[in-house]
Amino acid sequence: MSDITRQTLFSATAIVKNFGGVQALRGVDFDVIPGEIHALLGQNGAGKSTLVKILNGVHPAGSHTGTIQLDGQSVSFASPADARSSGVGYVPQEIEVLEQLSVAENVFAGRTGLGAGMLVYQRKLEQRAGEIFADLGIDINPRAYVASLTSAQRHLVMIARAIVMKPRVLMLDEPTASLSGTEVDALFSVLRRLKAQGVAMIYITHRLPEVLAICDRATVLRDGQVAVRIAREDFDAETFIFSMSGQRLQRLFPEHAAPVGTPTALDVRHLTVAGHSGAVHGANDISLSVAAGEIVGLAGLLGSGRSEILHGIYGRVPAEGAIRVNGQSVAVRSPADARAAGIALLTEDRKRDGLLFNLPVGANITIGNLAPLSRHGMVRGWLERSSILAAMRALNVKASSPQAAVTHLSGGNQQKLLFARVLMRAPKVLLLDEPTKGVDAATRHEIYRLVVELAEKGVALLIVASELEELIGLCDRCLVVADGRIVDEFNRGEGGEDRVLRSVTSAQAERHAMAAQASS
Amino acid sequence: MNSAAEVSSPPRDAQSFRRRLIGFIAVGEVGVLAAMALLVAFFWLLEPAFLSERNIRAILNVVSFVGIIAIGQTILLVAGEFDLSVGSVAGLSAVVAGKLMTAAALPVTAAILGGIGVGALIGLLNGLIVVRLGIPAFIQTLGMLFIGQGLIQVVTGGYPVYPLPDAINDIGGTDLVFGLGWSFAFFIIAAIIADFVLRRTVLGRNMYATGGNKEVAHLVGINTNAYKIGAFITVGALSAIAGMFVMADLGSGGTSIGSGWELTVIAGVVVGGVSLFGGAGTVAGGVVGILLLKIVQSGLVVIGVNSNWQQIAVGVIMVMAVGLDIVRRRYFIAGA
Repeated sequence: MSDITRQTLFSATAIVKNFGGVQALRGVDFDVIPGEIHALLGQNGAGKSTLVKILNGVHPAGSHTGTIQLDGQSVSFASPADARSSGVGYVPQEIEVLEQLSVAENVFAGRTGLGAGMLVYQRKLEQRAGEIFADLGIDINPRAYVASLTSAQRHLVMIARAIVMKPRVLMLDEPTASLSGTEVDALFSVLRRLKAQGVAMIYITHRLPEVLAICDRATVLRDGQVAVRIAREDFDAETFIFSMSGQRLQRLFPEHAAPVGTPTALDVRHLTVAGHSGAVHGANDISLSVAAGEIVGLAGLLGSGRSEILHGIYGRVPAEGAIRVNGQSVAVRSPADARAAGIALLTEDRKRDGLLFNLPVGANITIGNLAPLSRHGMVRGWLERSSILAAMRALNVKASSPQAAVTHLSGGNQQKLLFARVLMRAPKVLLLDEPTKGVDAATRHEIYRLVVELAEKGVALLIVASELEELIGLCDRCLVVADGRIVDEFNRGEGGEDRVLRSVTSAQAERHAMAAQASS
Repeated sequence: MNSAAEVSSPPRDAQSFRRRLIGFIAVGEVGVLAAMALLVAFFWLLEPAFLSERNIRAILNVVSFVGIIAIGQTILLVAGEFDLSVGSVAGLSAVVAGKLMTAAALPVTAAILGGIGVGALIGLLNGLIVVRLGIPAFIQTLGMLFIGQGLIQVVTGGYPVYPLPDAINDIGGTDLVFGLGWSFAFFIIAAIIADFVLRRTVLGRNMYATGGNKEVAHLVGINTNAYKIGAFITVGALSAIAGMFVMADLGSGGTSIGSGWELTVIAGVVVGGVSLFGGAGTVAGGVVGILLLKIVQSGLVVIGVNSNWQQIAVGVIMVMAVGLDIVRRRYFIAGA
């Protein structure tokens, strides 16, 4: 420990961060030394992104307790720009590029002046970007337009953008989430060069094979605390899985037994969905079935294709394959077809794909469900109002009136409102994408109860959730998805979070090996 | 259980009054109506002739033409798009109908249907290009504005279509009530129907959903493309009808019919609380907004303000109206 402390470049000590009443970080220590790639691991909600946001100035100094030191000097970052100018760079998980500009302009975004006043020296920018790329071994033409790049290349552009500032510390948040196997190798060779230059890197990932491949040290967070710190010589996938999924606060899930002998409600054969922008993961030849009254979970990492499966079944994205509902073959070309067949979808992103902010609470519930509430195309006011009130009561949606604006509702109430919408047509098959995302603990529990109630009424449920504990606690059966394929399946009681992590890891290791073979 | 109690229990009196007052102010049209009443009183105090029968009739007559288009534009804005080509379409449809009934010697009814067809067809074209090819409505309909103006010259050769059959002059000259003719009657009836459709029908509700968030509307099973294209066709057909009413009023198919209307119409409906970003506003509001603009223009003339100042007034009012609308939303809807 002592020799590491001696050369520590960047460190955080006793970091505590609260969100409202929730403790996201409870006294975390973290440090990184020059020329080291330090993996930061943990499940969703373990506190990884909170820690990174503190180190990066997104959560500014003063909003948390604890000290951050750079080169032995105490620092307090007021903003990401502040952190950047102090030599702490950050490459976010989402690709943020200016599509209409050239690669060189993107690399120097915000710094195009190059110290020469107001003018942009296009030639000079391209030359400098070219030098940076050559230095990192990146093969991209600096004059190309970013719109023409693949998502992997865009990610490299974002890394180059961080490198321009000559950071001494570089944080990478899930840099491989959108990359294919060979692209990952290209990224790794860039990281190795940075390492040789003495840059200290913090590498956040869910993918254990990558940790084994490139990292020097790993810190595992669990429930806002450091669960374990592991040196390279002790790296072992089993250890990681064990420490990530160890004991956590026990949550109570309502009792539900898998139905016996009920007919299959949803049957999907050979469903294939293309990945977005022609890139990697979509859903690849997925076959699954859900019985009436059964709760089935799709477990997998972000970007594994689990949401794409739901979207393919619902007709939100073009998909190939056969879908049967209650034994009837249905052609689903659009959400309207899926709804007509008795399939309903609760989307993940309430703000973007769920709520209509221009309509009040009541109309948000009945939108898409107006046919039975109208005659000759005219909405029957009293009938609509009474069914809205009934739906609000049934789902305990707390709003002052059906005329209230949806912006006033809490996240939990907004989510219950969307449940009211999808349930109004009494679907036979209900697809739920992250049904408890961003809702309070009480509502979370209400949603668990609702899911079980629906199953008991004979609805077939297919659920995607990032929190494995939740998925395993709630579902009768879990399907593990990795790289757009189902790689494992187990019933309630046959496995826990560790089983999911293990199946995902072995699937990834396989893919990694195949990619290595292909590229050699 | 909680919510049931909250929803059904009658609020206490003082609170209920306050809430009702806020609810009243929060209704988009009320603010515009109040502003309009103030303006009318203001002009009348300065110049009582403002409320003369002749002036009122003149205002209503002008409003009936642009108002017909405003109905369509409101529907289209609610669906989340807008159309800059309405003036050109009005002019083109008028001269085409004029040519059909003169040069082509078609029956008047057939020629009128032809004019409406031209408007609807251009609306369909605008809609298809915007929805299917993803070209922004601003670009597509601005292009159509120029195309329409060019076609007017092509069709007419630069000369007004004149003389027109008597039947057309009769339509323009009819005095139904208070010196107002068929165009006003059509305007009122169309406005009432359109307002009802947006407020009370499934079609209207789906239109608001489409304009509010296209993706959400699609996910709940609404064919958003059909709604948008339908709204474009409606605005095209209504523009054509307005253009032909002007032609009947003038007794000639002038080449300048409709020129410059697009901005008046958009300014008017925006004053009336119709959102440029889609999904908000009513036909009643849009129509009242147009009326307010025309009252200001006429009032300034009546009290003897230099005509150059009228345009300045229109600009100021539009920006103020939108500013007030934002404030109103913030304090009475969001903060209630």
